[in-house]
Amino acid sequence: MIDIRDVSYSYSQGVHALDHVSLKIGEGELVAILGENGAGKTTLVKHLNGLLKPSAGSVVVSGLDSKSTTVATMAKKVGLVFQNPDHQLFAETVEKELAFALVNFGMSAEEISKKVEWSLSEFELAQYRVRSPFMLSGGERKRLALASVLCYDPEILILDEPTTGQDNRQKTRLASLLVTLNTKGKTVLVVTHDMEFVADFIPRVVVMSKGKLIADGPAGEVLTRKDLLESASLLPPQLAELSWALGLEKPSIHLGTVLSEAFSIFGGRHQ
Amino acid sequence: MMVFHGFDYRRGTTAMHRIDPRSKMVYLILFTALTILFYNPFVLLLLLASSLPIVIAGKIYPRWSMSMKGSLFFIFFIFIFNFIAFIWGDFWGGALSIGTVYNAVVAAITMSIRFTALISIFSTFFLTTSPEDLTQSMVQLKIPYDYALTFNMAMRFVPTLGREAQYIIDAQKSRGLEMEKGNFVTRIKNYIPVLIPLIISSFRRAELVADAMESRAFGASKKRCSLYVLKISTKDYAFILITVASFLLILSLKLIFNIQ
Repeated sequence: MIDIRDVSYSYSQGVHALDHVSLKIGEGELVAILGENGAGKTTLVKHLNGLLKPSAGSVVVSGLDSKSTTVATMAKKVGLVFQNPDHQLFAETVEKELAFALVNFGMSAEEISKKVEWSLSEFELAQYRVRSPFMLSGGERKRLALASVLCYDPEILILDEPTTGQDNRQKTRLASLLVTLNTKGKTVLVVTHDMEFVADFIPRVVVMSKGKLIADGPAGEVLTRKDLLESASLLPPQLAELSWALGLEKPSIHLGTVLSEAFSIFGGRHQ
Repeated sequence: MMVFHGFDYRRGTTAMHRIDPRSKMVYLILFTALTILFYNPFVLLLLLASSLPIVIAGKIYPRWSMSMKGSLFFIFFIFIFNFIAFIWGDFWGGALSIGTVYNAVVAAITMSIRFTALISIFSTFFLTTSPEDLTQSMVQLKIPYDYALTFNMAMRFVPTLGREAQYIIDAQKSRGLEMEKGNFVTRIKNYIPVLIPLIISSFRRAELVADAMESRAFGASKKRCSLYVLKISTKDYAFILITVASFLLILSLKLIFNIQ
């Protein structure tokens, strides 16, 4: 579904933002992209809808080669939500903001109103439908930005730092929405620093550092590798730290596993 | 948005960087005046070339060339508009001749060179002058600190604004906005989803900056003093001398040789 082949990219100032990155993501996967600030995460996802074209290598998404496809064509399949909602909200009302992409993609009026209604209720924004997006709070604007992309139902969904500024309730809602969309067959990529969010909800993890892809695997495996997390300036999930502190043979990020491992060690000693 | 890189100062240690901003202001003002005074394309080319020694001495070629490349778009527009404006009357009057078209092309080229020269002169000034030094020099020229600082900050935020515009364009393109689609009017309309967030976030930022400055007691004391004071040195006198001499030489083309 997503095939990134040996992609390198440098901005005009000569910074190597991506350095021979290869990554395959299959249909219906739920993947987190982690890495320190400036690791190249955002640069990588900007390649997936063609905003950036690789300097070397190729990016193929749903059979479309990004080099020969316009951003608008790719954006219809790949929904990309950026970090800062203030970089995209502009319409007079929340409703119109949600309809913007739908109108751009030439959907029918009926379809537009159906999708707008769905996103208003899904993101708890219905009470603000005729309010200006600029009157919303920071967290609400963030949700509106998410909704304004999710509303057109792209096959692949990419979220850049979706959890910043959200309280626990909204984070859990977002997670359950992502999981629901994922079980319905959507491919979901999340760029984030929120390790607990990843540990709790996301099965596959890709780690980037200094423009290179340095790890790719199941979350339980990647997030318990101490050296790796340190080299990518990532805060380990609490359960991984607990596992290390307890000296568990098989560190884990799942409470049940950590507990049973711990019991088998300490329980054994007391007997 | 590459043109903004031409105003994005980076620390440097060359002689051009160390020359007092006031000396460079002499160059900026005199040569800007010349670009406006002259209408001869060759003299304007000469004025454009006058900034090249500074580009070389200041080692600012990469950023300077970015600002030049970035302004190509505007230069193209200036060319087209001047050309159209020049032939407009004759075209509708039905008296359009080869001679007029030739004159129109020359006029359009002249205006384009003039604009290029201005961009180059301003870009060399801002690329070799740190915003702090510029503010300090304005204060030493008896400009009230508030105005000097406002000007400095306006310049300081130009590249930030450029970067932000790019983020916004990326976000809106990701929602299916096609900037290059449609006729002239639609294309201008396409900029609305970019301009509104840009303006609003600028206001938000201005407020943040004001709050941050007040939190750090901006304006608490009426009489400010500075840790560093700029001094005019021999280097500066040499630079000013060369600048004024070349200014007079070029000006004499107009006064003595009657080149317009």
